[in-house]
Amino acid sequence: MLRVEGISLNFGNISAITNVSMEVRRGEILAIIGPNGAGKTCLLNCINGFYRPQSGRIFFLGKDLTKIRPHIVAKMGIARTFQNIELFTGLSTLDNLMAARHMLMKRGSLSGGLFFGPARREEIKHRQSVEDVIDLLELEEIRKKIVGSLPYGQRKRVDLARALCMEPQVLLMDEPMAGMNVEEKEDMARFILDIHELKATTIVLVEHDMGVVMDIVQRGVVLDFGVKIAEGTPEEIEKNPDVIRAYLGEEY
Amino acid sequence: MEAGERLDTLPKLLRDNYQRHPNKEALRAKDRGIWKSFTWKDYYENVKYFCLGLKSLGLKPGDKISILGENKPQWYYAELAVQAAGGAAVGIFTDCGPDEVKFYVEHSDSVFVIAHDQEQVDKMLKIKDQLPLLKNIVYWEDKGVWNYKDAILLSFDEVIEKGRKVEASEPRFFDESIDRGKSEDIAVICYTSGTTGIPKGAMLDQKFLVEGARTWGLLDGWVGKGYSYLSFIPGAWSVEQVIGIAGSLFADMAVNFPEKPETVQENLREIGPNLLFYGARLWEQVNRTIQAKMIDSSLPRRLIYKICLPIGLKVADLRSEKKKVNLLWRFLYALAYQAIFRQLRDRLGLSNVKVVYSAGAAVSPEIIRYFLALGIEIKLFYGATELGAISIPREGEIRPDTSGPIVPWAEAKLSEDGEILIKSKYMYAGYYKNPEATKAKLKDGWFQTGDFGYIDDDHQLIVIDRMEDLKGLAGGKKFSPQYSEVRLRFSPFIKDVMVVGGEGRKYVTALINIDIENVGRYAEQHRISYTTFSDLSQKPEIIELIHKEILRVNRTLPDHARIKTFVNIYKELDADEAELTRTRKLRRSFVEERYSDLIGMLYGEKEEYAVEASVTYRDGRTGILRTTIRVNQVEEEKK
Repeated sequence: MLRVEGISLNFGNISAITNVSMEVRRGEILAIIGPNGAGKTCLLNCINGFYRPQSGRIFFLGKDLTKIRPHIVAKMGIARTFQNIELFTGLSTLDNLMAARHMLMKRGSLSGGLFFGPARREEIKHRQSVEDVIDLLELEEIRKKIVGSLPYGQRKRVDLARALCMEPQVLLMDEPMAGMNVEEKEDMARFILDIHELKATTIVLVEHDMGVVMDIVQRGVVLDFGVKIAEGTPEEIEKNPDVIRAYLGEEY
Repeated sequence: MEAGERLDTLPKLLRDNYQRHPNKEALRAKDRGIWKSFTWKDYYENVKYFCLGLKSLGLKPGDKISILGENKPQWYYAELAVQAAGGAAVGIFTDCGPDEVKFYVEHSDSVFVIAHDQEQVDKMLKIKDQLPLLKNIVYWEDKGVWNYKDAILLSFDEVIEKGRKVEASEPRFFDESIDRGKSEDIAVICYTSGTTGIPKGAMLDQKFLVEGARTWGLLDGWVGKGYSYLSFIPGAWSVEQVIGIAGSLFADMAVNFPEKPETVQENLREIGPNLLFYGARLWEQVNRTIQAKMIDSSLPRRLIYKICLPIGLKVADLRSEKKKVNLLWRFLYALAYQAIFRQLRDRLGLSNVKVVYSAGAAVSPEIIRYFLALGIEIKLFYGATELGAISIPREGEIRPDTSGPIVPWAEAKLSEDGEILIKSKYMYAGYYKNPEATKAKLKDGWFQTGDFGYIDDDHQLIVIDRMEDLKGLAGGKKFSPQYSEVRLRFSPFIKDVMVVGGEGRKYVTALINIDIENVGRYAEQHRISYTTFSDLSQKPEIIELIHKEILRVNRTLPDHARIKTFVNIYKELDADEAELTRTRKLRRSFVEERYSDLIGMLYGEKEEYAVEASVTYRDGRTGILRTTIRVNQVEEEKK
């Protein structure tokens, strides 16, 4: 459903991504893995429109995404989470999630402010969807807490919830497990599987920690210095000599 | 209901509620951020269809089911459903591992397990093959369970659906089944944790629950007042069985279920319940939270708190000593209440509480006194799974150090060793499949609680410790070191203390480790000059200060357990020197050996002693301390 065709991205003379092609199939969990600086996040940024690749094209459900701006990409059904967590730190969890549904709301600020009739019904409908996500990701206890006061692991979960509230068809997750302890990683893995099962969302994960990711994905794409060096099932990737070399060095 | 029929079982009470006021609110649960109400009609119909559903799956009278979940309406539905079918419910704590769960399900011969969510279902799936009697696992929260394919799994709603079908073909069955219920039917099996050996399943019959709750509710006045109750102590515990499940069925009391265990504090504030049960640890935690928040709050607020708290404590003391509170103090208290206590209570969700319980000997008197100052009477009652409530402090007569007078429906006496023995009108029906243990617990009609305590001149029961944790004295009498230590440690001036006794010693003594920070501040305020810790510890003024603290605690102890001599240790007990564990628990035998000289003095003639002791500093160097230590006699108080 999402196709990347030979994209290259350069910053001046430095090339971040060189001629990468890949495909994301409907309903799968795909991992983009690779060592630090391999260009994984750059690839995500290209997909959701933050960066414009110098060459190559990206298609989503047959539509060309390459020149489309990020907020339109989001509206088309591609949501993402961020490595460094992008939330309104001064707002509560609930408000952050409601804000995420902003693009799905149809009423204007005036009728919303009056909170009457259709605007009220709409707000209630959106609150229900938000509560479904809160239930799914077990955020009840921090529903009304200010995001800025939450510990890192919980913020990560709120960030994921925010992306989910947009009811995406494709969810891009940038290092969802970075900086977490083993237990939090396991929780996150469980949440990812729950989302995948319940909402049939297609998920693209970017990770450099292969251990956890390989247990939950169906396919993986490996990048190294901006070049795709492998693609396939977790077993295929773990056996691939290029991957082993990229991760562990030449002598292995 | 036919006239004159007795409402002697919980299902009968439920049906009665349903017939009298079907549309009245019975239960409330928070789900997806909203409090949802369930009427008696909802309650009754869920129980009815769930009962019929289980019947269609093969539940027979006398069968048991296990319930493994957090407190939710489904917990109540499942229990009432199995009771309506003539069976019994077994509550299992949700934090039990698969092996423990297996023990309970297997030992109780449960044919169904009602599991909350994926976590509990996973435990059950792991052990289901080892449980030949198990027919089905029923879950009520489908999150994560939706694509489990195991045929043994059924959702709560599926069972309800089956029940509706049964209803069509056998419309009279449910009513008749309820009618068949008798007050001697076993209603629940509560497993007692038991510090030694395997858990024992105490069988509680309908009479125990219905009458136990009714008499208790009438005694404490929570019947028929339209109170609300927050249900979050585990249903596997008999207290929740009696107050929550049985109590709400006739006390006209709405039961509220928190959204998650983690949101209890928040939900508490939203509900503002009138009846509340908190475990001892929770009260301590609430108290600590207040202290910590106060330190962080603004200066004026801190000042108000500092002025108001002593007023509250003073009035609390007067009240518990049954002295008259004069007009001036009443006026001051009213001011203090408006100035800070009211807001404090609101913040904690305790603004509407009328009846508050805690149980066990583990709540320190200081905590109770503190909340009494806020106008919250914590009733530290004493009871046992097998006996129900045995002693309950009465309203307006809360004394921080006791568990109140014995309830009218029970009798208590002490054995020669000081063990509390109980006879009650509402006793359990024995341990499930363990007649030997049942027999062993009962001697000449008295139930042996295994708890050590006494009844004071005021007819109040004071529970001290488990029998097995006691220490003996030369005279054969027993006392509890921890009991005195806990109370002494509540003095701000005493950081650690070891109470010494034991066979071969005639009386009880104490080694005291003063709290250098607070004692130092006290010395500053009273212009006592000192050089080092050991110097300060031996100052006559400080010894007098500690002496007073010991007198205060001695007053709560029976004669033989009172501390007769004490000594202030010349240095701090330290985990670096292996005197304490890293969690600041005393390493008794080590300390006893190390300070054997001092302890010898405590029982000897010598009043003064020059001590040289080696100390290890954190950087590894060692040094020698020379101090003159005095043994201090505690004066006898006239009774």
